[in-house]
Amino acid sequence: MARVIRCIADNVVSPLGTTSRANYDKVRAGESGLARYESMGNISTPFVLSRVDRAVIDGLCAELGIQGNYTFFEKFLLCSSVQAVRDAGIDASSDRVLFIISTTKGNVSLLGQPQEGVADERVLLAKAAREVMQFYGNPGKPIVVCNACISGVCAQIEAMRALRSGRYDYAVVIGADEQSPFIISGFLSFKAISDEPCRPFDKDRKGLNLGECAATVVLEASDNKKSGWELVCGAIRNDANHISGPSRTGEGSYLCLMEVLKECRRSELAFVNVHGTATAYNDEMESIALYRAGLIDVPVTGLKGYYGHTMGAAGIMESILSMYAVRDNTVLATRGYSEQGTTYPVSVSGKTRECKGSEFIKLLSGFGGSNAALLYRFVE
Amino acid sequence: MESRGLDFVVLNQGFVSVNGRVLEHEAEGNALLSELYRGHIGDWPKFFKMDTLSKAGFVATELLLKEIGEPRCGSEEFIRSRAIVLFGSTASLCADRNYQETIQDKDNYYPSPALFVYTLPNIVTGEIAIRNHWRGESSFYVLETPDVEQMAFHLACAFQDNDTESILAGWVDSTMNDDFQAFMTVIRKEDVADVDRLAAQLQLIINDLNN
Amino acid sequence: MEELILKLKQEIIEVLNLEDVKPEDIDNDAPLFGEGLGLDSIDALELIVLMEKNYGIKLQDPAKGKEIFKSINVMADFIQKNRTR
Repeated sequence: MARVIRCIADNVVSPLGTTSRANYDKVRAGESGLARYESMGNISTPFVLSRVDRAVIDGLCAELGIQGNYTFFEKFLLCSSVQAVRDAGIDASSDRVLFIISTTKGNVSLLGQPQEGVADERVLLAKAAREVMQFYGNPGKPIVVCNACISGVCAQIEAMRALRSGRYDYAVVIGADEQSPFIISGFLSFKAISDEPCRPFDKDRKGLNLGECAATVVLEASDNKKSGWELVCGAIRNDANHISGPSRTGEGSYLCLMEVLKECRRSELAFVNVHGTATAYNDEMESIALYRAGLIDVPVTGLKGYYGHTMGAAGIMESILSMYAVRDNTVLATRGYSEQGTTYPVSVSGKTRECKGSEFIKLLSGFGGSNAALLYRFVE
Repeated sequence: MESRGLDFVVLNQGFVSVNGRVLEHEAEGNALLSELYRGHIGDWPKFFKMDTLSKAGFVATELLLKEIGEPRCGSEEFIRSRAIVLFGSTASLCADRNYQETIQDKDNYYPSPALFVYTLPNIVTGEIAIRNHWRGESSFYVLETPDVEQMAFHLACAFQDNDTESILAGWVDSTMNDDFQAFMTVIRKEDVADVDRLAAQLQLIINDLNN
Repeated sequence: MEELILKLKQEIIEVLNLEDVKPEDIDNDAPLFGEGLGLDSIDALELIVLMEKNYGIKLQDPAKGKEIFKSINVMADFIQKNRTR
């Protein structure tokens, strides 16, 4: 029998809080980390962003014993993972523990603004990952999943597979991105960023907001069923359509959904946590994929109105908040949504709803035509 | 010629070989990619819009598929069963630098969307998927070095997907427009039955690349 | 106007990497998008940058680009009327 993969610890560090619980409580209460900025660096176009206070991260590092000449991105990865690793109670220096980092741009801000005492090579993602692994004394080889916006789900899928192979007993999966002028200017050049808080799936949606978050799940492989959150399965599929525009038929997302639905007990499916970036094309595409997959009546919820698009962290943080929501019998409100704005009327709401069930699907899509989904199940 | 089991292409700024046969060429650096495109491909003008990483991955893939003789699109079942799993150490660094130049100077601040889109290394997997209509898994992993054991392990893991029957696998790196290294091969399920053997085969390919 | 049209064609060929296209291949009245040059949404965004960088025209709403990028003639006409440099 295939090994069972369970999530045994988690952490979210964001503008809303530095633990998963604090984040969930804030989101449940309707709070958002989004704020408007008139400029940043050479950028003079206004935009809305969810940004972490650097002083909070430095304070957290001091509290958690994270010392050394780290970049913001590395500190971000560390202060989320240190808490999760501690809660998991595992020995992260063991060669039976796999580290997987999920990010899109890592230390890219070093290109525009070198940091004293930090070698230029840290702009290479695996070098930044090595810094993190060295902190834990982990002897493994660094691996970074860099699949654009779907990286956080891909990293969990890769961890699941590596654990099932038998080579590892635990996986520490950490996702984060720093929102530097590099990324913000790029999305602005795509005319994809809204200067108002985003409105996922709404008819008046004007584009996305970016956000900062670091999130960690610690996964464990075991040969028997235990109570807790089980990562059941996942899938990654390409649209084979366009490098930046989502497929008009939602092909890749549809294929991902169909794959994870094979393992899903429909009566137990509490909701689908969608990507819901609030760009015209993404949300429309997701509605088509959900419709084609027969999920038009299943509650759908998106978290970008609280966090913005947190890139490398999105797949991990949104999975964690979904776990808390399922246990709370709650479909979190899709903040910013008020009126149907997609061709297919998916079951989305701007209000918190009750739900039943022990499973959820996390769906993401991104540049490069990439799409990914995974299925989590709570086992009593 | 030594039999290596896997079909493969290796490519860098001054060298290209297909299954160990060296291809003659005149140009070097980025111009070599254009020469190979014009001489061996020629029906995909979007090639000229790609960044160096994507061009290198694209050209290596085209040469490989030609060598294998695989039909372009294949059946619906086939296009869902072909995954793309690429590795690299510098990821999109070349594109990152090119894009950074468009935003660095306040008086010459014109961020380029066409450059920005390539600041994600998985775009090369998307370019290959689009060309071939492959709708299977596509993934890009960043490693420190082209470690064959690590690659073989993660390639074996990729076959845990229910639909994946074969993988276009390779290594692509580019730090500057005229500097790139790539190898490309196709791995089938039976190739990962013995991961150590797969690693040894990948090492032979890398030796060819480093020659 | 003739001069602007030729300059514009050369600029478009350069920024959009239309490697095998020459200025005389682009029909002044033919649509830039859809058939013909095979341009896509990223090309449209890049043309918006071109208008700002070379002619000082800021275009916030990408939807407006659809009208302006109808053909070389329409684009040149718009630039003529709105250019600040």
